[in-house]
Amino acid sequence: MLEVGGLTVTLHGITILRSVTLTIEPGRIVGLIGRNGAGKTTTLRAIMGLTRAASGRLALEGEDLSGLPPHLRARLGIGYVPEDRRLISALSARENILVPAWAGGLADAEARLDGVYTLMPELRELAARPAALLSGGQQKLVALARSFMYGSRVLLLDEPFEGVAPPLARRLVRAVREFQEHRPGLSVLVAESEVKWVRLLTDKIYSIERGTTAEVPAPTP
Amino acid sequence: MDTLTLILLDGIAFASWLFLVSAGLTFAYGVLRILNIAHGSLYAIGAYTGATLAGLVLHSGANPFLAYPVLVGAALLVGLALGPLLERGFLRRVYDQEEVITLLLTFAIFLILEDGMKLVWGVSPIIVAEPYALLGQLPLAGVTYPVYSFLLTGVAIVAGLALWVVIDRTRFGKLITSVIHDREISAALGVNVPRICTVAFTGAAMLAALGGAFTAPMVSVTPGISADVIVLAFAVTVIGGLGNISGGAIGALLVGLLRATAIQFFPALDLFVVYALMAVILLVRPEGLFGGVEVRRI
Repeated sequence: MLEVGGLTVTLHGITILRSVTLTIEPGRIVGLIGRNGAGKTTTLRAIMGLTRAASGRLALEGEDLSGLPPHLRARLGIGYVPEDRRLISALSARENILVPAWAGGLADAEARLDGVYTLMPELRELAARPAALLSGGQQKLVALARSFMYGSRVLLLDEPFEGVAPPLARRLVRAVREFQEHRPGLSVLVAESEVKWVRLLTDKIYSIERGTTAEVPAPTP
Repeated sequence: MDTLTLILLDGIAFASWLFLVSAGLTFAYGVLRILNIAHGSLYAIGAYTGATLAGLVLHSGANPFLAYPVLVGAALLVGLALGPLLERGFLRRVYDQEEVITLLLTFAIFLILEDGMKLVWGVSPIIVAEPYALLGQLPLAGVTYPVYSFLLTGVAIVAGLALWVVIDRTRFGKLITSVIHDREISAALGVNVPRICTVAFTGAAMLAALGGAFTAPMVSVTPGISADVIVLAFAVTVIGGLGNISGGAIGALLVGLLRATAIQFFPALDLFVVYALMAVILLVRPEGLFGGVEVRRI
């Protein structure tokens, strides 16, 4: 379970996150919905350790994350897909997916890669292609696959559906769902500006406005 | 014909030396994003250490050919001793600072190391020419050329190949590539970026020291050799593209051949042509000859 309590972040003297509080239970997919500039990306970056939190609680299965550098948070089993994919252009698609496994010295890197290929078979054909030559949609798939390599406990997805055509959005939804079926305890946080695609994944949604979160009541059937 | 041969041989020898002294600078810049002015000092310390240790071997009565592995050992020693110390002690603290701060810091390290060298080795020249003389001369296509220059080329090729194998053919090298392209996202993927930076800077320090150690038998090692080297290495690095090692190799070859040509036909312009080439490339292609490829944004 990932717990974020009263998280505040200040950048260059400006308060970006005032009070972000959310809980993602194991096996649950949770949405974080807010407009551009509301603090979604900063929330995910702060959980990952890429942006320093000024105060607040951040814990994974009760273990405090706040003092850990980003690479050790990742190695605890947190997978991260940044908003702009950020693939390594000099590496192939396959190498991009394998970077987390190599970084952690995982002995079963190839087995994990095979697991990812089973979920997203189209990546097999792209394996040798340099990341610089992939289309935006293909990059989204590779970035998601890359997060699967480490994301055994938590997945942080920053605007995965932004600018994506409906067929690819449906493909991404299916991949996340199927991955979670293989990892029953996995907690997933999806940040989006629109609720549309997130509704396909979850009924637990937080809204974020000016750096403050609030749980949105589930719609009545 | 003899002139052409001389231009080729001189050009390749000079290019080998340039590659050795600039490869570490561009590699360190690629990984750490710090233009290390103290790179010239590491070269000079390599030269002093190489000359001192090779001198000890030669005067001990041991096989004089042992001087060559001793020069390599001196470079490894300098890199291992100073690389982690400088990266962990100083550079790591300024990674997120503006470039002017990193330049000032490495300039300060440069000045401190300059005085440190004077404290340890004094200001008198140190000359250990035996490793150069020992190999003799080789008649080749009408000219006689020192064999040591070919050794220098061999060392540069081996160093370049080693760097290429590590970066392109190993998993650790792929992680280095990842850090070179995006340090932040690499950390979020579990890459221990501080460790990669320490290892990369140590490797760069070894390369600088290797250049210095193998230069020592060709020159008199005196205070001030650091400054000359850093300016030339900077020119080669800019021509090839900051942070691009293969670009640095081609930049070194271009500069080497151009300078060797100038020496034959317009000796007064031998250094001018180097900086003229740099200026032209900066005007036409500011990112250097081999600028990086970016991931498509759409």
